[in-house]
Amino acid sequence: MSGSNFSKKFIFNEKIDSDYLYSLYEDDYQYIEEIFGTTLAHFDEDYNSIRTAYEANNLLELKKAIHKIKPTFGFCGLPLVQHICKEFEDFCQKANTSNELKSEYQQIVITLAESKELIATEYNKLKEFNSNFL
Amino acid sequence: MKWTCVIVEDLQVAADYLVKCCEKSALLQVKGHFTNVEEALDYLNKNSVDVLFLDVEMPGATGFDLLDQLAYYPKVILTTSKSEYAYNAFEYNVTDFLKKPFTYQRFQESLNKLTTPAGENNISSTATDHIFIKCDGKLVRLNNDDILFIESMGDYVKFVTIDKKYITHNTIKNLEEKVNRQCFIKVHRSYIININKIDDIRENDLFIKGNEIPVSKAHKADVLKRLNII
Repeated sequence: MSGSNFSKKFIFNEKIDSDYLYSLYEDDYQYIEEIFGTTLAHFDEDYNSIRTAYEANNLLELKKAIHKIKPTFGFCGLPLVQHICKEFEDFCQKANTSNELKSEYQQIVITLAESKELIATEYNKLKEFNSNFL
Repeated sequence: MKWTCVIVEDLQVAADYLVKCCEKSALLQVKGHFTNVEEALDYLNKNSVDVLFLDVEMPGATGFDLLDQLAYYPKVILTTSKSEYAYNAFEYNVTDFLKKPFTYQRFQESLNKLTTPAGENNISSTATDHIFIKCDGKLVRLNNDDILFIESMGDYVKFVTIDKKYITHNTIKNLEEKVNRQCFIKVHRSYIININKIDDIRENDLFIKGNEIPVSKAHKADVLKRLNII
């Protein structure tokens, strides 16, 4: 968010849609670091809400929890993960018990955990990158 | 002078991003950020703001519940990741609908809609020969030429056409800005009429297909100006 002519000096992991990220924040790497940091700070709470709701067979809360975390991934340059969350949210809408979602749930918790790891790695890289420019 | 605004959003990263966008615009002063409807309502009922950035699904009550309970109606920009809410956005007459995440450019477009004077912010609805209203869970097309008049019924309005009546959740004040002004004119705080359907005018009433409609003193001169009196 710092101007229209910007450089792409930082090399993001290929799993991150850097074009999407630049469309949101341009080359404001400090701010991208902040976004990743905020995401990580709240990630476990939101992730645990998903697990708790699933284990309690509370589909309404499960749907709400996945809905809440969904845009986080868009904000972190992972629109595909956001889309996967949307699909899972739709599954929750149709299901009657959490058992019906077993395979989709197992897949999504893996996706979420991998995404967190990816964001954390990029966050540390960004921190180092930004500290070199201060 | 900046607009005052409040952000109601349970996702911290989205709220932070909105604050950043507001600051960058230099047009908005963020008065507060709330993560649930109850806290937001408590603030908004004590403090008036110009603009409300409102998420829909939050813990507890929804953003639409907040709008239902709010004593006044600021400009509302919905921020959600669910495009399915676009229909409700239409129903609640919100200024814009931002799908998360959105670019700063898209945010600016929303602000442009805030700055557009009332009545000019939806050219398609004011310039076309028809409108759509929500009725019985569907959107019903009404041709301007078929509408005789629109009558206020508190929080609802009644569209009276040649052969049918439709009741929908809306207000005369809101509709006044939305209908095609070439065809329609407000004649009373409770009535908008199709100017082409007037049969006759007597004193402070006009008649359309046997319906007697009051014309207020404040609107009478405007009505007479629009008639082709020879």
